[in-house]
Amino acid sequence: MKNPASTSWSKRINARSIREFATKNAIILVLAALVLVIGIVKNGFLTPDNLVNIMRISSVRLIIALGAAGVLISGGVDLSAGRTVGLAAVVAASLAQRPDYASKIFPNLPYMWVIVPILAGIAAGLLVGIINGLAIAYLKVPPFIATLGTMVIVWGAASLYVDRPPLGAQPIGGLRTDFTNLGTGSVGFMPTIILIALIVYCIYWVMLNKTQLGKNIYAIGGNLNAAIVSGVNVKKNLVTLYAIAGMLYGLGGVLLSARSGGATNNYGQSYELDAIAASVIGGVSNMGGIGTVAGVLTGVLIFEVLNNGLVVLGISAYWQQVVKGVIIVAAVAVDIRKYSKKR
Amino acid sequence: MKKIVMLFLVAALVLSVGGCAKKAVVTPKIGVAIYKFDDTFMSYVRNQIQSAANGKILLSVQDSQYDQPKQNDQVDQFLVEGDTALAINMVDPSAVSVIIDKCKTKNVPLVLFNREPVAADMAAWDKVYYVGAKAQQSGTYQGEIVAEYWKAHPEADLNKDGILQYVMLMGDPSNTDAKYRTEFSIKAIEAAGIKVQKLAEDTAMWDRVKGQEKMAAFLTANAGKIEVVLANNDDMGLGAIEALKAAGYFKNGKYMPVVSVDATPPALDALAQGTLLGTVLNDAVKQGQATFDLAYALATGAEVKSDVAPLALADGTVDSTGKYIWVPYVKVTKDNYKDFLAK
Repeated sequence: MKNPASTSWSKRINARSIREFATKNAIILVLAALVLVIGIVKNGFLTPDNLVNIMRISSVRLIIALGAAGVLISGGVDLSAGRTVGLAAVVAASLAQRPDYASKIFPNLPYMWVIVPILAGIAAGLLVGIINGLAIAYLKVPPFIATLGTMVIVWGAASLYVDRPPLGAQPIGGLRTDFTNLGTGSVGFMPTIILIALIVYCIYWVMLNKTQLGKNIYAIGGNLNAAIVSGVNVKKNLVTLYAIAGMLYGLGGVLLSARSGGATNNYGQSYELDAIAASVIGGVSNMGGIGTVAGVLTGVLIFEVLNNGLVVLGISAYWQQVVKGVIIVAAVAVDIRKYSKKR
Repeated sequence: MKKIVMLFLVAALVLSVGGCAKKAVVTPKIGVAIYKFDDTFMSYVRNQIQSAANGKILLSVQDSQYDQPKQNDQVDQFLVEGDTALAINMVDPSAVSVIIDKCKTKNVPLVLFNREPVAADMAAWDKVYYVGAKAQQSGTYQGEIVAEYWKAHPEADLNKDGILQYVMLMGDPSNTDAKYRTEFSIKAIEAAGIKVQKLAEDTAMWDRVKGQEKMAAFLTANAGKIEVVLANNDDMGLGAIEALKAAGYFKNGKYMPVVSVDATPPALDALAQGTLLGTVLNDAVKQGQATFDLAYALATGAEVKSDVAPLALADGTVDSTGKYIWVPYVKVTKDNYKDFLAK
């Protein structure tokens, strides 16, 4: 991956090289420090069960954050991420209810292969992504406004979807175990949800680093005019990018409902902000053109280690918010030094 | 001269039309305004009011769309139409004095329901009534379910210290329901002569996913020590159950009592599955029935009484001069959940 100074420190170990290493990998050191400090203060934190649990939670967040990070790298922003997660969650959950469950959204729901609700959720996300892409690329609506619009539309759509007579809006429950196994089961020793996230992570890494689409996304985000002049089809690339992001939010929603065993129209609320924050913590520039998938993973892990760790430590709900905010700003402040040093 | 004659003619016309309109509305009619139609609970209440009125009296039911000025206009319209009683579900209960004044001027009795105004406003006129549930009771009933279970199952005291160790999942801490449920559930357990110890308390903002994540962290911090889980609503309780399942509960004889509030369809399903110990229902049907009975009696000049609950004072004391009807919550457990499944 793009790592311009990767040869300078590897030969000699001295004070300067350590400092350089620390600056360049600051964000990973922040994560390691967090894990260590919380682990020392509260000895239950570093148990395999808890770490696997954090990774399960991070899996959904990582998939969503990858979609949001790609958009950030292209110089855009996607505010519809969270609500799209919610739409996909209710769509998938509504098709995965047990036949004997008393209050099904679709009372006459036939038994379907488990792949149907999964694909339906992803398709819902894809649809939102395509709308975002078309509005941004062809109607020239600024990404912030276009996705703000779809965010509101999608929230309305998800609410309308669950608000069916005779029962009215209500949480969706009673999901089939073959569906919830996506979120709670394992393949061998590997939790399924973590495996899926790893696969998505690898595919996304290849897409950003080894394909023309990935190169174009960096080019568009780095310098739009230069990209146009050098013959990049900006419109086509943007639609593809937002569509892929939408699919990832859709998959995230599917996995979220599978992991929690239900869904409401409020699922995914404000996840877009968490995803953007995790991306930026992980070194993705909110101005576009810069960012790595490894950084996004680190950012997500910092977020979820904090979310879990602060509760494990027994810190009050209000203080959790304050501490989280401070650490987010501090982490980025430390990380940003690697760019300012270069000047 | 001509103009003055015209003026008289017009005035006479207007007056006669007005007179006709007044004479036309001799049949009693009730005006109902609901703070917003897309609130699930209120739509149950509204359905009951409408079906209770069917064939007995004319109703006009309006959606105030979460807009207090709009509701004021609707009240004006009801009074102009000559309704003989109003049943109003306030958008903003603190703005009730304006509506009471309007009704007092026209001497049209007013039934407020579900969203409670302060006692001082209620005292402003003797023909204003309130129908609702006492939020404290939902907590009390939760505590009673726990206390009953605890006394019947000595093995629930895992460490045999005679003290009930619990964790609490709170809703939005700024919400009065969340505060009352948290406070009164514990008070009821203590009132049953059981000593309690709080291991952890945190807000999951009414949300299933957050409930799951917080519960997982509680389990990490207090492995093997938690004896009871209390949640302010079903969504969080069901999230906690998912976290417990992931930690190996609800199989091979490993059990954890979880209680919540709302009796949503997924919660009833969990009762059937034996994972949820109990939940508490805010009885929308009885609330609608009591509201209608009272408004009907007032509209037709019949004796003011209710079969749902006796007239009471603001503190719940039964008193024939009372202006409050406190609709009781209902405890829902494995024994009676079938009564609440959707028809």
